[in-house]
Amino acid sequence: MADQADFERDAMQYTRQLYSAAMRMTRNPSDAEDLVQETFLKAYRAYHTFEEGTNLKAWLYRILTNTYINKYRKESRRPSEVDLGAVEDLYLYRNIGSEESAEAARTTEERVLDGLVESDIKKAVEDLPENFRLPVLLADLEGFSYKEIAEILDIPIGTVMSRLHRGRKAMQKSLWEYAVNRGLVPEGAERP
Amino acid sequence: MSGHECDDALTNLYLYLDREIEATTSEVIRAHLDDCSGCLRSFDFEARLKIVVRERLSEEVPREFLERLREAIAREASAPH
Repeated sequence: MADQADFERDAMQYTRQLYSAAMRMTRNPSDAEDLVQETFLKAYRAYHTFEEGTNLKAWLYRILTNTYINKYRKESRRPSEVDLGAVEDLYLYRNIGSEESAEAARTTEERVLDGLVESDIKKAVEDLPENFRLPVLLADLEGFSYKEIAEILDIPIGTVMSRLHRGRKAMQKSLWEYAVNRGLVPEGAERP
Repeated sequence: MSGHECDDALTNLYLYLDREIEATTSEVIRAHLDDCSGCLRSFDFEARLKIVVRERLSEEVPREFLERLREAIAREASAPH
């Protein structure tokens, strides 16, 4: 059993991470603040049920995602799909690499990785349907393992893997579009 | 990029980068990457993209909010149960 007196020291170190995730979930600062505050208050009240030595960060994320799903979810409960058409694996890399010389491609890789700004990356994540967005956030923002994500979201590990796979692909498709629009790839590159 | 080894490596790319792969498979992939510059480049790109995504998704917590949050928890702490 965890002691509430330790809550601030132990749990609040994750504020920045939880807030970053909450921003991508709710898509605006005011809802993100409400969501994080509600998460911490729920966590504080339930802290005596948290088993010390187990995964505190995952426990907090479970409260965060459940609170988000119950309170803020506007989409239907039925999982939505992402339209991936002919999007292949490594979409971004392969599109960059379609240039003639390896050297030119390498330069473009650098330019794309440097030139995709925060707002591009954030938008690419925020545009994902929620059932893809949450696994992507938990894996790519937080570095949770597939097993931890399965437990946090209460879905099978195979579902985590397929949603992560499709979610990342969809993100790469968006990122390629932003790279083209920002002129990070040479003129004449195929528009998606 | 061609051949069975390349296909196997690319199939396992995300499992490898996510550290969700058995040590033995990981060794096989690492050995392949030592020999195959094509696969190494694609792995390297995806690994860097993963870092870029993580870094650029991170937010600063507004100072005023952090203060409000601390106060809210302190209020909760002193509330009668």
